[in-house]
Amino acid sequence: MHVRPRLRHLAVLGLAGLALAVVGVTAAQSKPLHSTASTIIDGTTDTVTNVDPAGNYDYGSATVDLLVYQHLLDYPEGHRSPTPSLATGCTANAAQTAWTCTLKKGVKFSNGDPFTSADVKWSFDRVNAIKDPSGIYGLISNLKDVTTNGDYSVTFNLKTPQSTWPFILTTGAATIVDHKVYPADKIVANTDTKNLVGTGPYVLSKFTPGQQAVFTPNPNYDGSLGSVKNGGVIINYYSKSSTMKLALQQGTIDMAFRDFTPTEYAALGKTSGITVFKGSGVVIRYLVLNVKRPPTNNLAVRKAIAYLFPRQDIASRIYHGNVQPLYSMVPAGLPGHVNAFGELYGLAPSTAKAKAVLKAAHVKTPVKLTVWWTPSHYGDASADEYTEIQRALNASKLFKVTLKSAEWATYSKTLGTQYGAFQLGWFPDYVDAEDYLVPFYASGSNFTSNGYKSAKMDALLHQEQGAKSTAQRLSIVQQAQMIAAKDAPIIPYWQGAMLAVGRSDIHGIQGTLDPTYLMRFWEITKS
Amino acid sequence: MGTQSSSLKRYALTRLALVVPMVFILLTLVFLLMRVAPGNPVSAALGGHAPPAVIKAISHQLGYDKPVYVQYGHYLGQIVRGNFGTTISDRRSVGSIILVNGAATLELTFFAMIIAIIVGMLVGLVSGRFRDSPLDTGGRLFGIVVYATPVFFLGLLAQLVFGTWLNWLPTSDQASPITQALMKTHTNIFFLDAIIDGNWSAFWDIVKHLILPATTLGIVYGGVFIRLIRVNVIRTLKEDYIEAARARGINERSVVYHHAFRNALVPVITVVGLQLALLLGGAILTETTFNWPGLGHELYVYLQNRDYAAVQGIVVVFALVVVAASIVIDFANAFIDPRVRY
Repeated sequence: MHVRPRLRHLAVLGLAGLALAVVGVTAAQSKPLHSTASTIIDGTTDTVTNVDPAGNYDYGSATVDLLVYQHLLDYPEGHRSPTPSLATGCTANAAQTAWTCTLKKGVKFSNGDPFTSADVKWSFDRVNAIKDPSGIYGLISNLKDVTTNGDYSVTFNLKTPQSTWPFILTTGAATIVDHKVYPADKIVANTDTKNLVGTGPYVLSKFTPGQQAVFTPNPNYDGSLGSVKNGGVIINYYSKSSTMKLALQQGTIDMAFRDFTPTEYAALGKTSGITVFKGSGVVIRYLVLNVKRPPTNNLAVRKAIAYLFPRQDIASRIYHGNVQPLYSMVPAGLPGHVNAFGELYGLAPSTAKAKAVLKAAHVKTPVKLTVWWTPSHYGDASADEYTEIQRALNASKLFKVTLKSAEWATYSKTLGTQYGAFQLGWFPDYVDAEDYLVPFYASGSNFTSNGYKSAKMDALLHQEQGAKSTAQRLSIVQQAQMIAAKDAPIIPYWQGAMLAVGRSDIHGIQGTLDPTYLMRFWEITKS
Repeated sequence: MGTQSSSLKRYALTRLALVVPMVFILLTLVFLLMRVAPGNPVSAALGGHAPPAVIKAISHQLGYDKPVYVQYGHYLGQIVRGNFGTTISDRRSVGSIILVNGAATLELTFFAMIIAIIVGMLVGLVSGRFRDSPLDTGGRLFGIVVYATPVFFLGLLAQLVFGTWLNWLPTSDQASPITQALMKTHTNIFFLDAIIDGNWSAFWDIVKHLILPATTLGIVYGGVFIRLIRVNVIRTLKEDYIEAARARGINERSVVYHHAFRNALVPVITVVGLQLALLLGGAILTETTFNWPGLGHELYVYLQNRDYAAVQGIVVVFALVVVAASIVIDFANAFIDPRVRY
């Protein structure tokens, strides 16, 4: 008997809610949604760890920072080498151990604070003081200290000679922040948008973690990266590319940058009103071979794998032409690149040569080889990619490949400590050949744990870092690539394109697709 | 009355006292499960990029190289102080995740529950009333099929049909990007925020975004209510008081809708509480499918990053919500039905 009145109350409440909803819906239909016609709405599956540049080392965060901040040197559209941005120029001493930059005058942060050398020193010092767990501070590990010479000149004193320091000045670790706003020893929270001020093209006006970043044009921006050609940018974050694809097809978002699966790119390419834009890319994929563990500790086995590698098939069958075969760790298009593996092992797979090299080394065939890959870090195509590699090696009858996979959290922790042959990918910290060689082949910084050590390579890389001229440096880079191909501790096999997808009313995407791999949203317009 | 009230009080206190060991066991399990899972947040974030020495140094900095019992003590200490900590991967306070993303989950599950109850009541009532008729067969079949269908699959179908083919409804997010960018947040429940601001264009946009995810989740869980209500209606229709009502000449419609159906709804209260746990589980998949920024969506993202702090915080909140709901249901049952307290 107690039940009925309560149920009645519940029903009344429910009906009231529904009535409210109906009234709301009816009222809503009478007013159009406010629209900002020239705002570009982008979708991405990237995530943002920290907007504060001292606390991030990932592409999603770097994309946000690109819109809000500047560096002393940057890459405006059409420039493929570090170009003066907040600096008017940088020069090194003869020993390449001190780089002095003169700064632009009259530049202001978005909050109106003037930009001076104090901001530059503050920015570098806080990266080193905070030592964020993202590891970003590692990029300026060669920096001894920063000294200011008046308001508009700074000198970077280095621990060892470094000819590529201008490239370091374009990285996240060298982002310039306002010393009056950013704490010396802690990160500014992502949602504290009032204090995330920079000199870049936009102001981050709203940030909802995991959902959305809203950018409005910075009234104090000096235009040094190019003028802002739209009314603002909204980046919408998606956890799955399939959902982002639907949003793009529906017109919820105007464009999408990073990242769809190869199949989704192919499908979008055939969708009316949508264009897939393609430019040179610098992301690479490679197979690491452990030189300490059998059977890949045998040079002949590594060479045989190099002879058999199905680069063309992977590029065309698995990636539908969105990647190109890569024959050196340094991607094609970067200064110093040589087709080292192509020259040593040929552009197409050769079973005969692989057989010969194994026979000469008295290696019993088929060689049993376990190849590891991860399904949770390099995209859905990894499974097909490694099935293709297995097929190609087994088809030669020289190898008997077993594929094994591990989830990224486990995989990334293990690498060469337990795996003999394993998949990895690389996105550069700075777009220079050096960043494709030192982290892999220098015995002091080889992160793959594949056991590769070469005195000759170490000496070359040391020389490269202190080279006096670009010509001398690139010559050394080429030699290093040839040694890398000869020793074959790593087999590079594809280089990805920079891909972005836009609806038909979006213009200017193609211009920003270049090897610097920067999405310059301020250059994009909506008609 | 005095005896009744003291027995209810005793029951309530006993029930509340049981919450403490229950939550403690839960916290311990969540902590241990995260530590047993291979990998850690540092290698997940930096592995394949940074040398092992850097990964080791950062793991040390974050305390992941400390013995598990030390980490456990620290973890419990923080929870007792009401501090769920800060996420490792993006330095968000877990408390803010619970508030912001929890609001999105609340919005979704609330409307999904309403849809589940409406679908369950309508189909269950019709099936029970017209037992063994084609309507009943159809209703039962519908109930079984929707309950057996994985929620993400139904979500994908809904996206395909209503989003891609018909282009009637948006397929992702809580609101369109422009609405979200311009909206002011008061409660973090978009639906309410739009009402508070009298922003009806945003309200309509939010409603449109809510339809597919809430209906998908609601229909799946409506399957349980269909079967439950059908059985209860059939059972109630055989009760003596129904026969007596019929004998008194009350028309069949009135017997069914005023007498049988109301009583058949009582057990639903209990099931609503139990369903909440399933609903939250389903919300993880629904939120991921529809890019709905709720706790389930965040859990999916943080699990991939092995973000201990975030996963622990979210799982604990999920569990606490279920515990709280079960207590409320127990109290409600005890209040309604005195037999429960004795």
